[in-house]
Amino acid sequence: MNYNLIAMTSITYAQKAKSLLNAQRMYCEIQKTPSEYFSGCGYSIRVKDDISKVTAILRENGVKYKQTASGYRR
Amino acid sequence: MINFDNSATTFPMPEAVAKAVYTAVKRYGGNAGRSGHSLSIMTAGKVFEVREALSQLFDAKPENVVFTLNCTHALNLAIKGTLKAGDHCIISSLEHNSVSRPVYAMSRRSGVTFSVLEVIDDDEQTLDRLKRLIRDNTKAIAMTICSNVTGKILPYKLIGELCRRRGIVYIADAAQAAGVIPLSMSDGFDFLCMSGHKGLYGPTGTGVLISSERFPLSTIIEGGTGTTSLELEQTGGLPEQLESGTLNSVGIIGLGAGINFVKEKGMQKIYDHEMRLTNAFFQGLAEMKDITVLRGSGNYSAVVSFNKNGFHSDELAEYLSDRGIFLRGGYHCSALAHKYLKTEKTGAVRFSPSVMNTKDDVKKLLFELRRIS
Repeated sequence: MNYNLIAMTSITYAQKAKSLLNAQRMYCEIQKTPSEYFSGCGYSIRVKDDISKVTAILRENGVKYKQTASGYRR
Repeated sequence: MINFDNSATTFPMPEAVAKAVYTAVKRYGGNAGRSGHSLSIMTAGKVFEVREALSQLFDAKPENVVFTLNCTHALNLAIKGTLKAGDHCIISSLEHNSVSRPVYAMSRRSGVTFSVLEVIDDDEQTLDRLKRLIRDNTKAIAMTICSNVTGKILPYKLIGELCRRRGIVYIADAAQAAGVIPLSMSDGFDFLCMSGHKGLYGPTGTGVLISSERFPLSTIIEGGTGTTSLELEQTGGLPEQLESGTLNSVGIIGLGAGINFVKEKGMQKIYDHEMRLTNAFFQGLAEMKDITVLRGSGNYSAVVSFNKNGFHSDELAEYLSDRGIFLRGGYHCSALAHKYLKTEKTGAVRFSPSVMNTKDDVKKLLFELRRIS
């Protein structure tokens, strides 16, 4: 299945994002940032919803993230 | 066995805390925030739940809640991460060594100067004295909210307002206050430091630093954070910047159960219960001869220190310990407070109940004290 990925600045922000999105009944899981998508070590969230919709929610709630990517297969 | 030494560490702990610690050991054994496997992610999720619980309790953002080893660790992170050469800091005459020693050490090694505020019962006058100590280079006020020796509650809201008005960093030692007095980051704290194992009923080895975000901290400990691992520069951003090394996830999960216990019981009910016991003890002491109580008028919490003529405090505490009643004698790691109270020779015996104590416990303590009167 294809997912959208958002690389987070920390595990805490990944957890905050998951808590926030799950509360809105949106799919969100945390995983290690895959090196083929983003450089550096850290955590990403895996979502099914549209990236712009998710990032808007994150920004509104002060959740910091680094980069986004779509078409992640798992 | 009766424990009246809850200002040092609350015991017994709630059953739910013991169960949570057991479950953490058996089930949440991953290293939180280090790996991508489910065990690690699941453990990180439990840690985050406790961050959220603390953020709700103190009106903070979860990402500004930093886990530490204890309150002393939190205070050192805040004090040493804030002050630098040329800065002036104000502490109070009632400080625990966890505030006074780091500040004193910085005055010896790092070119920091400091003043000591004499705390009196009249809060307005204490505040006036504090204002007079402020200098152009006063960077921080680092003070206890509640004395661990006398139970005196400082006018922390007024101090918070003053710090906001003057752009001074307010580092607050909430070791004796967290879980007992309703504290909010909106009270003006910049760094609220606390133990997890006192009023929050968690296990030892847990402490918390909460930041207002208004002032950044330099790090005094660097290391692995689970992110930006290929860079030599310390990870920026709270809480990871200040949480190098493996977290005490077992203790933190236990702390979460302690916080739930406080929420379910109700902070006000816990405070009222402890104050009832304290007042009963205080009245009992008043009827005895040769007793000096280190308590004035004004705002005091459920802590009473006292002495009996002819006894060193350690001697009296040992006498009670032999009878299964545990109070702390000596100096309570508070050099300044005992100098201020003029109890350097004898120290004092400290009574500090928790919600687990009963009126019968107080009666038994008074009975034993009367027997040696």
